[in-house]
Amino acid sequence: MKYILLMTGTKAGVGTYQAWTNGDRNTHMAALLKINKELSDSGEFIATEGLAGPDEARVVRGRNNGVPVTDGVFAESKEFLLGYWIIDVETPDRAYAIASLISAAPGPGGVPTNMPIEVRQFASHAPKS
Amino acid sequence: MKYILMMNATKAEFDVYAKWSKEDLQRNVGFMRAFSKELKDSGVFVATEGLGWPNEARIVRAGKDGEPITDGVFAESKEFLAGYWVIDVEGPEQAYKIAARASAAPGPGGTPARMPIEVRQVLSGFADLGL
Repeated sequence: MKYILLMTGTKAGVGTYQAWTNGDRNTHMAALLKINKELSDSGEFIATEGLAGPDEARVVRGRNNGVPVTDGVFAESKEFLLGYWIIDVETPDRAYAIASLISAAPGPGGVPTNMPIEVRQFASHAPKS
Repeated sequence: MKYILMMNATKAEFDVYAKWSKEDLQRNVGFMRAFSKELKDSGVFVATEGLGWPNEARIVRAGKDGEPITDGVFAESKEFLAGYWVIDVEGPEQAYKIAARASAAPGPGGTPARMPIEVRQVLSGFADLGL
């Protein structure tokens, strides 16, 4: 079963992260890299990507003549995708366990960030509703 | 430069989509298939996926002992990722043009749905994060 684990945050949340010390950021990244390696070793890893910051985000709509209309203004509460992991696992519980590992990655002072991780199944495998 | 084009929708919007006629759904899916083929033919295609319905979505946090704590209750205003394309293009303007094409996908009665498409740059690796 293929799942995508979505790490999201508001602009304010990203601002907090940018204020972390280099040491805290390096510790956090090392923990995420270790999780990536474990997933590769177990054969569950498919892909991971990090996204550029929310300041660069644009919403695009097509005009009738096909010309793109871009908008860069968002509600303060808007959750931006920061990064994702795609995994192939046996059960939803295994997907939740991996999301939990990511959520437990260390933040400032080595304390787990406890970040919420959204777990979604891909439509090709999901129950139809 | 790699970009991700995301379709986001609230639960209410998913419910509206679920009520589209079979003909409208088929027209929309037909467009999406042709659109993906066009991206592949032009050499900018990296990946595309559609996601499962929001009622299957869960938020996971680590508990005190590292055990997963799951939650399936969301605010009505919550935007759920419905699907995405990852493309590799020359720059943002090309990404916006392709996003505008996706936004013009046909909705009910064949009228362009004009769905908002969120365009975000995908970083090539941890080097881009300055680490």
